[in-house]
Amino acid sequence: MNPPADPVVETPIRAYLDAVAGHLRGPCRLRARILAELRDGLEQAIAARIDRGEPADQAAATAITEFGSPDVVAAAFAGELTTGFARRTMITFVATGPLVGLWWLLLLRPDPWRTGIGALLAAIPVLPLVAAGLATAAGTLATTGRLMRWFPEAGPGRALAATAAVAGLTLAGDVLIIAVAGNSGALTGALALIALAASLTRIGYSLYIVGQVATRCWRPSR
Amino acid sequence: MVAMRPELLKGHLDALLLAVLEPGPRHGYAVIESLRAGSAGTLALPTGTVYPALHRLERAGLIGSDWETVGGRRRRTYQLTVAGRAALGEHRALWDEFSAAVSAVLAARTRPAPA
Repeated sequence: MNPPADPVVETPIRAYLDAVAGHLRGPCRLRARILAELRDGLEQAIAARIDRGEPADQAAATAITEFGSPDVVAAAFAGELTTGFARRTMITFVATGPLVGLWWLLLLRPDPWRTGIGALLAAIPVLPLVAAGLATAAGTLATTGRLMRWFPEAGPGRALAATAAVAGLTLAGDVLIIAVAGNSGALTGALALIALAASLTRIGYSLYIVGQVATRCWRPSR
Repeated sequence: MVAMRPELLKGHLDALLLAVLEPGPRHGYAVIESLRAGSAGTLALPTGTVYPALHRLERAGLIGSDWETVGGRRRRTYQLTVAGRAALGEHRALWDEFSAAVSAVLAARTRPAPA
């Protein structure tokens, strides 16, 4: 079925999709995919009606009405967009974590003759925060992804709360490690500069995510 | 024929969507139309219900999707995964048990009280 190029059809489709887009909040790529899919569905619905003999303008109006009002359709997608944002953020934190942690580990690693978890915790006291953040992210990714067939599914609200928690833990961890390194006089040399720059970058990202979560606490659909 | 309210389908929408995709890949609008046609118009679901539900099923790994270009437009086609086929079997078994139990209770007639 070819897409209708008739402006009688194209104009209301574009107006409808613009209205839906105005209500959608979430990752750009996800929004673009939703709008492309809605456009395809609308065009097919309209083409089917035209094939049945309806005038083009009436077919467009009826199909658009059947799709639902823009705010209702956008609200239905809100949960998926929120979950998509949460998952993407968690993956970013988990994937970039080693890029920051590696430098601090090299800078603050305990003396070779001091071994054990106690020595490691004394040298890098943010490890419990890292563990808590990793556990929260892993749990959220599991219960919003393929493992939700076996575990209770985390709704968008819970995924958003977990995102805020991970961003908060990461922020606290970065601030704490900078303070610990500063107090111990370890913030000297090129390695310290790299570690500091990595943590400051992540602090900026964490603050951005906290801001995003605050603005997204709008209306998780379920 | 009265269209079914989406809230009445809560808990069963996943199974319905998986069943519609069982014969082969379909795009979103075809899924909506198959539901409508397969239920003689009873399951005329609003778009806002079906597309997000398809996305959620994909996130759960029960269906997969591919984008293709048809007539210059991008179109997303959904298909069942192996896990989705297994989940559909489980849904069917649960539904058989559930519907038999509800039918048995609803079909029971109250006997008139003895005079």
